[in-house]
Amino acid sequence: MSQDKIDVLQRALAREKAARKQAEKILEDKSLELYDAKEKLEQSYLELEASLNKKDSQLQGVFENIVDAYVIMDLLGNILKMNEAAVSLLGFNHAKENFNLIKMAAPEEVQRVLESFNILFKKGSLTDFHLNIITRKNEPKLVHINASIIYDNGTPVAAQGIVRDITLDNKYKNRLETERQKYSNIIANMNLGLVETGIDDKILMVNQSFSKMSGYSEEEIIGKTGKELFITEENAEIIETKDSKRHRGEAHSYEIKVRNKLGEDRYWLVSGAANYNLEGKVVGSIGVHLDITGIRKLEHQKEKLLNDLSKSNEELKEYAHVVSHDLKSPLRSIDALVSWIKEDNKGKLDPTSIQNFELIETTLEKMEQLISDVLSYSSIGSEKNEKTDVDLDKVVKDLIKILYVPDHISINIENTLPTIKGERMKLQQVFQNLIGNAIKFIDKEKGFITIQVKSLRTHYKFSIADNGMGIEKQFHNRIFKIFHALNKSKDSTGIGLSIVKKIIDLHEGEIWLESNPGEGTTFFFTLKK
Amino acid sequence: MKNNLKVLLIEDDMIEIMKFNRVVASLKLQHTIIEANNGEDALKILQKKDELPDIILLDLNMPKINGIEFLNILKKDNTLKYIPTIILTTSNNQNDLLECYKIGIAGYVLKPLKYDDYVSKMEKILAYWSINELKQI
Repeated sequence: MSQDKIDVLQRALAREKAARKQAEKILEDKSLELYDAKEKLEQSYLELEASLNKKDSQLQGVFENIVDAYVIMDLLGNILKMNEAAVSLLGFNHAKENFNLIKMAAPEEVQRVLESFNILFKKGSLTDFHLNIITRKNEPKLVHINASIIYDNGTPVAAQGIVRDITLDNKYKNRLETERQKYSNIIANMNLGLVETGIDDKILMVNQSFSKMSGYSEEEIIGKTGKELFITEENAEIIETKDSKRHRGEAHSYEIKVRNKLGEDRYWLVSGAANYNLEGKVVGSIGVHLDITGIRKLEHQKEKLLNDLSKSNEELKEYAHVVSHDLKSPLRSIDALVSWIKEDNKGKLDPTSIQNFELIETTLEKMEQLISDVLSYSSIGSEKNEKTDVDLDKVVKDLIKILYVPDHISINIENTLPTIKGERMKLQQVFQNLIGNAIKFIDKEKGFITIQVKSLRTHYKFSIADNGMGIEKQFHNRIFKIFHALNKSKDSTGIGLSIVKKIIDLHEGEIWLESNPGEGTTFFFTLKK
Repeated sequence: MKNNLKVLLIEDDMIEIMKFNRVVASLKLQHTIIEANNGEDALKILQKKDELPDIILLDLNMPKINGIEFLNILKKDNTLKYIPTIILTTSNNQNDLLECYKIGIAGYVLKPLKYDDYVSKMEKILAYWSINELKQI
């Protein structure tokens, strides 16, 4: 082999060596790159796996913790998977039970369920489906279902659904509806007129009673204000102040005079309150109206009657005075004329004529007494005198001093008489008439009049006893009636005891008597403490 | 010294006037009596201010102007209000009595039934006023 050849071969070898080295180097670099890449890949795969796990457990969490019942079923309705909420809602014992959901529909709902399955398959979802079911524990429930199809590579494989129990919601709703119905029935049928107005005072709603009360039909009322419909000028002011009060949210009631459709004046008692919306803002008002015209009219009538009564009482009293004046005047004149005839004919008249003139005079006196008694009887109670403390002991003792008491009669007050509230003059009259009567009718040689008092719970009981002629039982009630004098005599008009009774009535007391004819009489009477 | 009074008697009842005149005559009193049958007549008489009476005896129940109305008119007149006015009436109505005293009167005398009682009451009234000093007009 030639040197040259060797050189050439050597050089070629060297080149080959260098090339191989380079190739090795490249290879080494590449494999390093590859290794790096693999490392990176492994890393990202790990990351991916971790994140996948995370997502998966997150989903599992959602699935388990979701409040609503969550069910996955196959396309025939067999349950594949469900959460705890579903187990409890549907009445299962555990999540692994095999069950076809279609069997859970209430018997009358089966047709609807099948239709809903069709919709689900066609559209891929079903929303807001309400269904009556009978749970595994045999409870009827109303549920709300939203469902959708699960696809695998575009092929439907299963369906998932969220089921919500709305049995209670529905019950509340039903109950609310019943309540609403009940109240609207009450509102429609109650005797009170109900009006709802807006913030502009225009009427939004009225019930039948209000329409009846006012005379206007519902259509005539709605959209108007109460003011333009019912108010007379005199009431305009009331309404305005009440309205502004109501707008401030104050509740109140007031009475108002209105004019109904027929033009009649009616009195309404109105109770109004502000109407609030959900945000608590005043949006108008609600007023309850009660027609009190009847009551008002009665009250006015009563007032008028009382007025008339006190007027005619007053007139009667005036009348009694005038009549008594007019009746007494002629008596006075006759008396004067008789006196003059007697005076002018002194010594010329025979004894009989003189006696007759005296009889005329006696008759005149009796007539005058009668008129005075009638007047005082009719005046009792018509005069409004203040009741004051009256010391009866003093009244009676003073009275005895001024009364004419014959020597053969003695008056004895056994205990101290009390002080009571009353009218002094009238109480004195009671004692005067009773003691006077006792004196008048004592027919014994020695007369005794005894006055006593006894304290009862609410009244004092007085007694005035005499040993006079007595009164027979059959007259006991009659003697208190006007003009029932038992003994027609010069000084007895038959009014004295009527006056006594009227005064005692006025002092909330009673009067009665006990008597033994021939032995004496005791008058009892009570006066309020 | 006793004065002879000029008495204005305002009374619508003829016999009452006769009674009063008879009392004055029978008691031999020298009083001058002016009669008026009602309030209007009396006011006419009182218009002559130089012949005014010393006292007035006034009945309450009269037609047209009644006693209380008359009294009111009298008491509003600056001259006439000084004339003592004695009410002579049947009415013991407390309202009338209070009203009269409120307006202003010099006496309130009830007419008695008995003529003898009347004589005695009139005698006393006239005697009382005749010893009084009266305003010279």
